[in-house]
Amino acid sequence: MGRVSFYDEIARNKRNSLLLAILVSLILFALVYTLVFLFAPDLAVMALLLSGFLITLHAYGSYRYGDSVVLSATSARPAEGPEYLHLRNTVEGLSIAAGITPPKVYVVKSEEINSFATGRDPEHSSIAITTSALNELDRQELEGVLSHEISHIRNRDILFMTMVAVLVGLAAIISHIIVRTFRFGGVGRVQVGRGDRKEKRGGGIGAIILVVGFFLAIFAPLLTRLVQFAVSRRREYLADASGAELTRYPEGLALALEEIKEKNQGKMDVSEAVSHLFIVDPNKSPLDALYATHPPIEERIKRLKAM
Amino acid sequence: MSPLGLFVVFILIVAVALILWFISYYNRIRILSNRIEEGWAQIDVQLKKRYDLVPNLVETVKGYASHEREIFERVAEARAGMITGSREDRVGASNALTGALRTLFAVAESYPDLRASENFRLLQEQLDGIESKIAYARQYYNSSVLTYNNLITTIPGTWFAGGRPKHPFLEIPEEERKAVKVEF
Repeated sequence: MGRVSFYDEIARNKRNSLLLAILVSLILFALVYTLVFLFAPDLAVMALLLSGFLITLHAYGSYRYGDSVVLSATSARPAEGPEYLHLRNTVEGLSIAAGITPPKVYVVKSEEINSFATGRDPEHSSIAITTSALNELDRQELEGVLSHEISHIRNRDILFMTMVAVLVGLAAIISHIIVRTFRFGGVGRVQVGRGDRKEKRGGGIGAIILVVGFFLAIFAPLLTRLVQFAVSRRREYLADASGAELTRYPEGLALALEEIKEKNQGKMDVSEAVSHLFIVDPNKSPLDALYATHPPIEERIKRLKAM
Repeated sequence: MSPLGLFVVFILIVAVALILWFISYYNRIRILSNRIEEGWAQIDVQLKKRYDLVPNLVETVKGYASHEREIFERVAEARAGMITGSREDRVGASNALTGALRTLFAVAESYPDLRASENFRLLQEQLDGIESKIAYARQYYNSSVLTYNNLITTIPGTWFAGGRPKHPFLEIPEEERKAVKVEF
Protein backbone atom coordinates (compact mmCIF):
# COMPACT_ATOMS: atom_id res chain seq x y z
CA MET A 1 0.00 0.00 0.00
CA GLY A 2 2.72 2.44 1.03
CA ARG A 3 4.77 1.62 -2.03
CA VAL A 4 1.88 1.95 -4.41
CA SER A 5 0.92 5.36 -3.12
CA PHE A 6 4.44 6.72 -3.31
CA TYR A 7 4.92 5.58 -6.91
CA ASP A 8 1.52 7.13 -7.67
CA GLU A 9 2.70 10.32 -6.07
CA ILE A 10 5.85 10.42 -8.20
CA ALA A 11 3.81 9.98 -11.37
CA ARG A 12 1.30 12.60 -10.25
CA ASN A 13 4.02 15.12 -9.44
CA LYS A 14 5.76 14.64 -12.77
CA ARG A 15 2.47 15.13 -14.57
CA ASN A 16 1.60 18.24 -12.53
CA SER A 17 5.01 19.77 -13.19
CA LEU A 18 4.61 19.25 -16.90
CA LEU A 19 1.08 20.69 -16.87
CA LEU A 20 2.33 23.71 -14.95
CA ALA A 21 5.12 24.30 -17.46
CA ILE A 22 2.60 24.10 -20.32
CA LEU A 23 0.18 26.44 -18.56
CA VAL A 24 2.85 29.04 -17.87
CA SER A 25 4.07 28.78 -21.43
CA LEU A 26 0.58 29.46 -22.73
CA ILE A 27 0.16 32.47 -20.44
CA LEU A 28 3.54 33.89 -21.46
CA PHE A 29 2.67 33.35 -25.09
CA ALA A 30 -0.69 35.10 -24.70
CA LEU A 31 0.95 37.98 -22.85
CA VAL A 32 3.65 38.60 -25.45
CA TYR A 33 1.17 38.20 -28.26
CA THR A 34 -1.30 40.68 -26.78
CA LEU A 35 1.47 43.23 -26.29
CA VAL A 36 2.69 42.90 -29.85
CA PHE A 37 -0.84 42.93 -31.20
CA LEU A 38 -1.61 46.18 -29.35
CA PHE A 39 1.59 48.10 -30.05
CA ALA A 40 3.28 46.64 -33.09
CA PRO A 41 0.86 44.54 -35.14
CA ASP A 42 3.39 44.24 -37.99
CA LEU A 43 5.87 42.31 -35.86
CA ALA A 44 3.87 39.08 -35.51
CA VAL A 45 6.84 36.92 -36.47
CA MET A 46 9.02 38.69 -33.94
CA ALA A 47 6.34 38.04 -31.34
CA LEU A 48 6.47 34.33 -32.02
CA LEU A 49 10.24 34.30 -31.71
CA LEU A 50 10.22 36.42 -28.57
CA SER A 51 7.57 34.37 -26.82
CA GLY A 52 9.34 31.19 -27.86
CA PHE A 53 12.52 32.54 -26.31
CA LEU A 54 10.79 33.61 -23.10
CA ILE A 55 8.98 30.30 -22.74
CA THR A 56 12.18 28.31 -23.19
CA LEU A 57 14.02 30.60 -20.80
CA HIS A 58 11.36 30.27 -18.14
CA ALA A 59 10.84 26.52 -18.47
CA TYR A 60 14.53 25.68 -18.61
CA GLY A 61 15.46 28.24 -15.99
CA SER A 62 12.96 27.15 -13.39
CA TYR A 63 13.70 23.47 -14.03
CA ARG A 64 17.48 23.82 -13.99
CA TYR A 65 18.09 26.74 -11.61
CA GLY A 66 14.91 26.84 -9.52
CA ASP A 67 16.68 25.35 -6.51
CA SER A 68 19.50 27.93 -6.64
CA VAL A 69 16.91 30.71 -6.80
CA VAL A 70 15.05 29.33 -3.79
CA LEU A 71 18.24 28.74 -1.80
CA SER A 72 19.54 32.25 -2.40
CA ALA A 73 16.11 33.79 -1.74
CA THR A 74 16.20 32.21 1.72
CA SER A 75 19.91 33.07 2.26
CA ALA A 76 20.74 29.42 2.86
CA ARG A 77 24.42 28.56 3.18
CA PRO A 78 26.03 25.13 2.91
CA ALA A 79 26.25 23.14 6.15
CA GLU A 80 30.01 22.65 6.17
CA GLY A 81 32.39 21.94 9.00
CA PRO A 82 32.41 19.64 12.03
CA GLU A 83 29.57 21.44 13.85
CA TYR A 84 27.14 20.16 11.21
CA LEU A 85 28.54 16.63 11.10
CA HIS A 86 25.54 15.24 12.94
CA LEU A 87 23.12 17.02 10.59
CA ARG A 88 24.89 15.71 7.49
CA ASN A 89 25.08 12.20 8.95
CA THR A 90 21.36 12.17 9.70
CA VAL A 91 20.46 13.36 6.20
CA GLU A 92 22.77 10.75 4.68
CA GLY A 93 21.32 7.97 6.84
CA LEU A 94 17.74 8.86 5.95
CA SER A 95 18.67 8.99 2.25
CA ILE A 96 20.08 5.49 2.53
CA ALA A 97 16.84 4.32 4.11
CA ALA A 98 14.84 6.00 1.35
CA GLY A 99 17.13 4.61 -1.34
CA ILE A 100 17.99 8.00 -2.87
CA THR A 101 21.21 9.94 -3.50
CA PRO A 102 21.90 12.11 -0.44
CA PRO A 103 20.82 15.73 -1.03
CA LYS A 104 23.05 18.72 -0.35
CA VAL A 105 22.52 20.19 3.11
CA TYR A 106 22.05 23.90 3.84
CA VAL A 107 21.48 26.01 6.94
CA VAL A 108 19.33 29.13 7.19
CA LYS A 109 20.02 31.55 10.01
CA SER A 110 16.72 32.15 11.80
CA GLU A 111 15.02 32.21 15.18
CA GLU A 112 12.20 30.05 13.85
CA ILE A 113 12.18 26.26 13.70
CA ASN A 114 11.62 25.38 10.08
CA SER A 115 13.01 23.51 7.08
CA PHE A 116 12.43 22.93 3.39
CA ALA A 117 13.58 20.82 0.46
CA THR A 118 14.09 21.92 -3.11
CA GLY A 119 15.56 20.70 -6.40
CA ARG A 120 14.40 18.86 -9.48
CA ASP A 121 15.09 15.19 -8.70
CA PRO A 122 16.88 13.27 -5.94
CA GLU A 123 20.21 13.62 -7.77
CA HIS A 124 19.85 17.40 -7.79
CA SER A 125 18.22 18.18 -4.50
CA SER A 126 18.90 20.18 -1.37
CA ILE A 127 17.58 20.28 2.17
CA ALA A 128 17.76 23.43 4.25
CA ILE A 129 17.11 23.72 7.97
CA THR A 130 17.11 26.74 10.26
CA THR A 131 19.78 27.25 12.92
CA SER A 132 17.05 27.39 15.53
CA ALA A 133 15.79 23.95 14.52
CA LEU A 134 19.32 22.61 15.08
CA ASN A 135 19.50 24.24 18.51
CA GLU A 136 16.01 23.53 19.79
CA LEU A 137 15.19 20.06 18.48
CA ASP A 138 16.67 16.92 19.96
CA ARG A 139 18.05 14.16 17.76
CA GLN A 140 14.84 12.26 17.26
CA GLU A 141 12.82 15.38 16.54
CA LEU A 142 15.45 16.56 14.06
CA GLU A 143 15.38 13.15 12.43
CA GLY A 144 11.59 13.42 12.14
CA VAL A 145 11.75 16.83 10.44
CA LEU A 146 14.49 15.70 8.05
CA SER A 147 12.61 12.51 7.19
CA HIS A 148 9.65 14.66 6.12
CA GLU A 149 11.93 16.60 3.75
CA ILE A 150 13.61 13.43 2.44
CA SER A 151 10.12 12.11 1.63
CA HIS A 152 9.33 15.28 -0.33
CA ILE A 153 12.46 14.59 -2.37
CA ARG A 154 11.71 10.92 -2.92
CA ASN A 155 8.08 11.64 -3.86
CA ARG A 156 9.31 14.27 -6.37
CA ASP A 157 7.23 16.96 -4.64
CA ILE A 158 10.25 19.24 -4.87
CA LEU A 159 10.13 19.81 -8.62
CA PHE A 160 6.55 21.02 -8.68
CA MET A 161 6.91 23.06 -5.50
CA THR A 162 10.12 24.71 -6.72
CA MET A 163 8.56 25.57 -10.07
CA VAL A 164 5.62 27.19 -8.29
CA ALA A 165 8.06 29.16 -6.12
CA VAL A 166 9.88 30.52 -9.17
CA LEU A 167 6.62 31.40 -10.86
CA VAL A 168 5.16 33.21 -7.85
CA GLY A 169 8.47 34.98 -7.30
CA LEU A 170 8.52 36.12 -10.90
CA ALA A 171 4.96 37.42 -10.69
CA ALA A 172 5.88 39.23 -7.47
CA ILE A 173 8.88 40.90 -9.13
CA ILE A 174 6.81 42.01 -12.12
CA SER A 175 4.04 43.46 -9.97
CA HIS A 176 6.68 45.17 -7.84
CA ILE A 177 8.12 46.80 -10.96
CA ILE A 178 4.64 47.88 -12.04
CA VAL A 179 3.83 49.41 -8.68
CA ARG A 180 7.14 51.25 -8.64
CA THR A 181 6.66 52.54 -12.16
CA PHE A 182 3.26 53.88 -11.30
CA ARG A 183 4.62 55.57 -8.22
CA PHE A 184 7.82 57.13 -9.53
CA GLY A 185 7.11 58.54 -12.95
CA GLY A 186 6.41 56.19 -15.82
CA VAL A 187 2.70 56.54 -16.26
CA GLY A 188 2.44 59.52 -13.96
CA ARG A 189 4.90 61.50 -16.01
CA VAL A 190 2.90 61.07 -19.20
CA GLN A 191 0.38 63.66 -18.19
CA VAL A 192 2.88 66.27 -17.05
CA GLY A 193 5.66 65.45 -19.55
CA ARG A 194 7.01 68.50 -21.39
CA GLY A 195 8.81 67.09 -24.44
CA ASP A 196 6.82 65.37 -27.18
CA ARG A 197 9.20 62.45 -27.49
CA LYS A 198 9.25 61.81 -23.79
CA GLU A 199 5.49 61.86 -23.66
CA LYS A 200 5.15 59.24 -26.37
CA ARG A 201 7.74 56.91 -24.88
CA GLY A 202 6.34 57.21 -21.42
CA GLY A 203 2.86 56.56 -22.76
CA GLY A 204 4.02 53.39 -24.58
CA ILE A 205 5.70 51.91 -21.55
CA GLY A 206 2.79 52.89 -19.36
CA ALA A 207 0.37 51.09 -21.63
CA ILE A 208 2.54 47.99 -21.80
CA ILE A 209 2.70 47.95 -18.04
CA LEU A 210 -1.04 48.36 -17.86
CA VAL A 211 -1.51 45.31 -20.07
CA VAL A 212 0.95 43.26 -18.03
CA GLY A 213 -0.76 44.41 -14.86
CA PHE A 214 -4.10 43.44 -16.31
CA PHE A 215 -2.78 39.97 -17.07
CA LEU A 216 -1.39 39.64 -13.58
CA ALA A 217 -4.69 40.75 -12.10
CA ILE A 218 -6.43 38.02 -14.06
CA PHE A 219 -3.94 35.36 -13.09
CA ALA A 220 -3.33 36.37 -9.47
CA PRO A 221 -6.17 34.19 -8.13
CA LEU A 222 -4.86 31.35 -10.25
CA LEU A 223 -1.41 31.79 -8.71
CA THR A 224 -2.90 31.75 -5.23
CA ARG A 225 -4.72 28.54 -6.05
CA LEU A 226 -1.49 27.08 -7.38
CA VAL A 227 0.32 27.84 -4.14
CA GLN A 228 -2.43 26.23 -2.13
CA PHE A 229 -2.38 23.28 -4.48
CA ALA A 230 1.39 23.01 -4.08
CA VAL A 231 1.04 22.42 -0.34
CA SER A 232 -1.99 20.23 -0.72
CA ARG A 233 -2.90 18.36 2.41
CA ARG A 234 -2.43 15.05 0.69
CA ARG A 235 1.17 15.93 -0.13
CA GLU A 236 2.05 17.05 3.41
CA TYR A 237 0.30 14.19 5.18
CA LEU A 238 1.95 11.75 2.82
CA ALA A 239 5.39 13.25 3.49
CA ASP A 240 4.70 13.01 7.24
CA ALA A 241 3.63 9.39 6.90
CA SER A 242 6.43 8.24 4.63
CA GLY A 243 8.89 10.13 6.81
CA ALA A 244 7.66 8.09 9.75
CA GLU A 245 8.09 4.99 7.64
CA LEU A 246 11.78 5.90 7.25
CA THR A 247 12.53 6.63 10.91
CA ARG A 248 10.09 3.99 12.21
CA TYR A 249 9.29 6.55 14.89
CA PRO A 250 6.34 8.86 14.12
CA GLU A 251 6.61 10.32 17.60
CA GLY A 252 9.82 12.16 16.59
CA LEU A 253 8.12 14.37 14.02
CA ALA A 254 5.03 14.74 16.21
CA LEU A 255 7.18 16.07 19.07
CA ALA A 256 9.02 18.39 16.68
CA LEU A 257 5.70 19.79 15.42
CA GLU A 258 4.56 20.32 18.98
CA GLU A 259 7.72 22.23 19.72
CA ILE A 260 7.24 24.29 16.57
CA LYS A 261 3.67 25.07 17.58
CA GLU A 262 4.88 26.27 20.94
CA LYS A 263 7.96 28.24 19.98
CA ASN A 264 7.48 29.61 16.47
CA GLN A 265 6.25 33.18 16.19
CA GLY A 266 5.45 32.85 12.49
CA LYS A 267 7.65 35.78 11.64
CA MET A 268 10.32 34.27 9.50
CA ASP A 269 11.78 36.76 7.08
CA VAL A 270 11.18 34.92 3.81
CA SER A 271 9.34 35.76 0.61
CA GLU A 272 5.75 34.59 0.18
CA ALA A 273 6.93 32.92 -3.01
CA VAL A 274 8.83 30.22 -1.11
CA SER A 275 6.64 29.86 1.98
CA HIS A 276 4.84 26.79 0.61
CA LEU A 277 8.14 24.89 0.50
CA PHE A 278 8.55 24.97 4.27
CA ILE A 279 7.46 22.21 6.63
CA VAL A 280 5.33 24.73 8.55
CA ASP A 281 4.11 28.11 7.33
CA PRO A 282 6.97 30.60 7.96
CA ASN A 283 4.67 33.65 7.87
CA LYS A 284 1.69 33.15 10.08
CA SER A 285 -1.07 35.69 9.63
CA PRO A 286 -4.37 36.31 11.42
CA LEU A 287 -6.11 35.37 8.19
CA ASP A 288 -4.66 31.88 8.32
CA ALA A 289 -7.92 30.15 9.06
CA LEU A 290 -9.35 31.51 5.82
CA TYR A 291 -6.27 31.49 3.74
CA ALA A 292 -4.03 28.73 5.07
CA THR A 293 -1.44 27.30 2.72
CA HIS A 294 -0.42 24.60 5.18
CA PRO A 295 -2.50 21.90 6.84
CA PRO A 296 -3.13 22.60 10.53
CA ILE A 297 -0.32 21.43 12.82
CA GLU A 298 -2.75 19.94 15.36
CA GLU A 299 -4.21 17.63 12.75
CA ARG A 300 -0.76 16.52 11.60
CA ILE A 301 0.29 15.75 15.19
CA LYS A 302 -2.91 13.81 15.74
CA ARG A 303 -2.36 11.70 12.64
CA LEU A 304 1.28 10.99 13.52
CA LYS A 305 0.36 9.93 17.03
CA ALA A 306 -2.30 7.59 15.68
CA MET A 307 0.23 5.69 13.53
CA MET B 1 -10.40 -12.48 -43.83
CA SER B 2 -11.24 -16.12 -43.43
CA PRO B 3 -12.10 -17.49 -39.98
CA LEU B 4 -8.83 -19.39 -39.99
CA GLY B 5 -6.88 -16.19 -40.71
CA LEU B 6 -8.65 -14.42 -37.85
CA PHE B 7 -7.82 -17.27 -35.53
CA VAL B 8 -4.13 -17.14 -36.47
CA VAL B 9 -4.04 -13.38 -35.89
CA PHE B 10 -5.73 -13.88 -32.52
CA ILE B 11 -3.21 -16.53 -31.49
CA LEU B 12 -0.34 -14.28 -32.55
CA ILE B 13 -1.65 -11.35 -30.50
CA VAL B 14 -2.07 -13.55 -27.45
CA ALA B 15 1.43 -14.95 -27.91
CA VAL B 16 2.99 -11.50 -28.18
CA ALA B 17 1.07 -10.30 -25.13
CA LEU B 18 2.25 -13.31 -23.16
CA ILE B 19 5.86 -12.72 -24.17
CA LEU B 20 5.66 -9.04 -23.18
CA TRP B 21 4.08 -10.02 -19.88
CA PHE B 22 6.87 -12.52 -19.25
CA ILE B 23 9.55 -9.93 -20.09
CA SER B 24 8.04 -7.33 -17.80
CA TYR B 25 7.93 -9.74 -14.87
CA TYR B 26 11.39 -11.10 -15.60
CA ASN B 27 12.77 -7.56 -15.58
CA ARG B 28 10.92 -6.63 -12.45
CA ILE B 29 12.35 -9.61 -10.60
CA ARG B 30 15.83 -8.73 -11.85
CA ILE B 31 15.46 -5.05 -10.84
CA LEU B 32 14.29 -5.96 -7.36
CA SER B 33 17.08 -8.45 -6.92
CA ASN B 34 19.58 -5.79 -8.03
CA ARG B 35 18.07 -3.48 -5.47
CA ILE B 36 18.86 -5.99 -2.74
CA GLU B 37 22.48 -6.12 -3.93
CA GLU B 38 22.60 -2.32 -3.97
CA GLY B 39 21.23 -2.36 -0.43
CA TRP B 40 24.01 -4.69 0.60
CA ALA B 41 26.61 -2.45 -1.06
CA GLN B 42 25.35 0.42 1.10
CA ILE B 43 25.76 -1.65 4.25
CA ASP B 44 29.19 -2.82 3.10
CA VAL B 45 30.42 0.75 2.57
CA GLN B 46 29.39 1.72 6.09
CA LEU B 47 30.87 -1.43 7.63
CA LYS B 48 34.22 -0.66 5.97
CA LYS B 49 34.13 2.96 7.10
CA ARG B 50 33.47 1.81 10.60
CA TYR B 51 36.21 -0.78 10.37
CA ASP B 52 38.69 1.95 9.35
CA LEU B 53 37.59 4.43 11.97
CA VAL B 54 37.64 2.22 15.06
CA PRO B 55 41.47 2.02 15.39
CA ASN B 56 41.61 5.85 15.53
CA LEU B 57 39.13 5.82 18.35
CA VAL B 58 40.97 3.07 20.21
CA GLU B 59 44.28 4.95 19.86
CA THR B 60 42.70 8.13 21.17
CA VAL B 61 41.17 6.38 24.16
CA LYS B 62 44.41 4.48 24.86
CA GLY B 63 46.18 7.82 25.20
CA TYR B 64 44.09 8.53 28.30
CA ALA B 65 43.01 5.15 29.59
CA SER B 66 45.59 2.60 28.52
CA HIS B 67 44.75 0.13 31.29
CA GLU B 68 41.19 -0.63 30.13
CA ARG B 69 42.61 -3.62 28.26
CA GLU B 70 39.56 -5.85 28.42
CA ILE B 71 37.33 -3.48 26.52
CA PHE B 72 39.98 -2.87 23.84
CA GLU B 73 40.13 -6.61 23.26
CA ARG B 74 36.37 -6.85 22.89
CA VAL B 75 36.39 -4.00 20.38
CA ALA B 76 39.25 -5.56 18.38
CA GLU B 77 37.54 -8.94 18.29
CA ALA B 78 34.23 -7.56 17.05
CA ARG B 79 35.99 -5.34 14.53
CA ALA B 80 37.89 -8.28 13.01
CA GLY B 81 34.61 -10.15 12.48
CA MET B 82 33.21 -7.31 10.40
CA ILE B 83 35.15 -8.15 7.25
CA THR B 84 34.92 -11.93 7.11
CA GLY B 85 32.13 -14.45 6.89
CA SER B 86 28.58 -14.28 5.63
CA ARG B 87 26.45 -11.17 5.46
CA GLU B 88 24.69 -12.13 8.65
CA ASP B 89 27.99 -12.77 10.42
CA ARG B 90 29.42 -9.43 9.37
CA VAL B 91 26.38 -7.45 10.40
CA GLY B 92 26.28 -9.50 13.60
CA ALA B 93 29.92 -8.59 14.32
CA SER B 94 29.06 -4.98 13.66
CA ASN B 95 26.26 -5.19 16.22
CA ALA B 96 28.63 -6.75 18.72
CA LEU B 97 30.96 -3.82 18.00
CA THR B 98 28.11 -1.43 18.74
CA GLY B 99 27.79 -3.01 22.17
CA ALA B 100 31.54 -2.89 22.77
CA LEU B 101 31.72 0.75 21.67
CA ARG B 102 28.87 1.70 24.00
CA THR B 103 30.85 0.22 26.87
CA LEU B 104 33.96 2.04 25.66
CA PHE B 105 32.12 5.37 25.56
CA ALA B 106 30.67 4.70 28.99
CA VAL B 107 34.19 4.02 30.29
CA ALA B 108 35.37 7.24 28.66
CA GLU B 109 32.84 9.14 30.76
CA SER B 110 35.12 8.75 33.77
CA TYR B 111 38.06 10.44 32.00
CA PRO B 112 37.24 14.17 31.84
CA ASP B 113 40.33 14.98 29.73
CA LEU B 114 39.32 12.39 27.16
CA ARG B 115 35.74 13.59 27.07
CA ALA B 116 36.93 17.15 26.53
CA SER B 117 39.18 16.13 23.63
CA GLU B 118 37.91 17.59 20.37
CA ASN B 119 39.27 14.61 18.46
CA PHE B 120 37.39 12.17 20.68
CA ARG B 121 34.09 14.01 20.34
CA LEU B 122 34.43 14.13 16.57
CA LEU B 123 35.19 10.42 16.41
CA GLN B 124 32.22 9.68 18.62
CA GLU B 125 29.94 11.71 16.36
CA GLN B 126 31.29 10.00 13.24
CA LEU B 127 30.86 6.54 14.72
CA ASP B 128 27.35 7.43 15.89
CA GLY B 129 26.54 8.55 12.36
CA ILE B 130 27.87 5.35 10.83
CA GLU B 131 25.97 3.26 13.34
CA SER B 132 22.67 4.86 12.41
CA LYS B 133 23.53 4.64 8.71
CA ILE B 134 24.11 0.90 9.09
CA ALA B 135 20.71 0.64 10.75
CA TYR B 136 19.08 2.61 7.92
CA ALA B 137 20.90 0.62 5.26
CA ARG B 138 19.74 -2.60 6.87
CA GLN B 139 16.20 -1.26 6.89
CA TYR B 140 16.44 -0.50 3.17
CA TYR B 141 17.96 -3.92 2.53
CA ASN B 142 15.21 -5.71 4.41
CA SER B 143 12.43 -3.73 2.79
CA SER B 144 13.93 -4.52 -0.63
CA VAL B 145 14.04 -8.20 0.35
CA LEU B 146 10.40 -8.00 1.42
CA THR B 147 9.31 -6.49 -1.90
CA TYR B 148 11.30 -9.13 -3.78
CA ASN B 149 9.95 -12.02 -1.73
CA ASN B 150 6.41 -10.72 -2.06
CA LEU B 151 6.74 -10.58 -5.82
CA ILE B 152 8.21 -14.06 -6.29
CA THR B 153 5.86 -15.81 -3.88
CA THR B 154 2.53 -14.33 -4.98
CA ILE B 155 0.55 -14.98 -8.13
CA PRO B 156 1.36 -14.09 -10.89
CA GLY B 157 4.97 -13.29 -9.99
CA THR B 158 5.57 -16.82 -8.77
CA TRP B 159 4.84 -18.22 -12.27
CA PHE B 160 7.73 -16.21 -13.65
CA ALA B 161 10.13 -16.65 -10.76
CA GLY B 162 11.31 -20.01 -12.09
CA GLY B 163 11.51 -21.54 -8.65
CA ARG B 164 13.87 -18.87 -7.31
CA PRO B 165 14.20 -19.21 -3.53
CA LYS B 166 13.10 -16.47 -1.17
CA HIS B 167 15.89 -14.09 -0.25
CA PRO B 168 16.85 -14.23 3.44
CA PHE B 169 16.39 -11.15 5.61
CA LEU B 170 19.27 -9.66 7.56
CA GLU B 171 18.15 -10.50 11.03
CA ILE B 172 19.92 -9.70 14.25
CA PRO B 173 20.42 -12.82 16.37
CA GLU B 174 18.85 -12.59 19.79
CA GLU B 175 22.11 -12.75 21.78
CA GLU B 176 23.64 -9.90 19.79
CA ARG B 177 20.61 -7.77 20.40
CA LYS B 178 21.34 -8.17 24.09
CA ALA B 179 24.99 -7.20 23.58
CA VAL B 180 23.93 -3.60 23.03
CA LYS B 181 23.72 -3.23 26.78
CA VAL B 182 26.42 -1.22 28.55
CA GLU B 183 28.82 -3.36 30.58
CA PHE B 184 31.59 -2.40 32.96
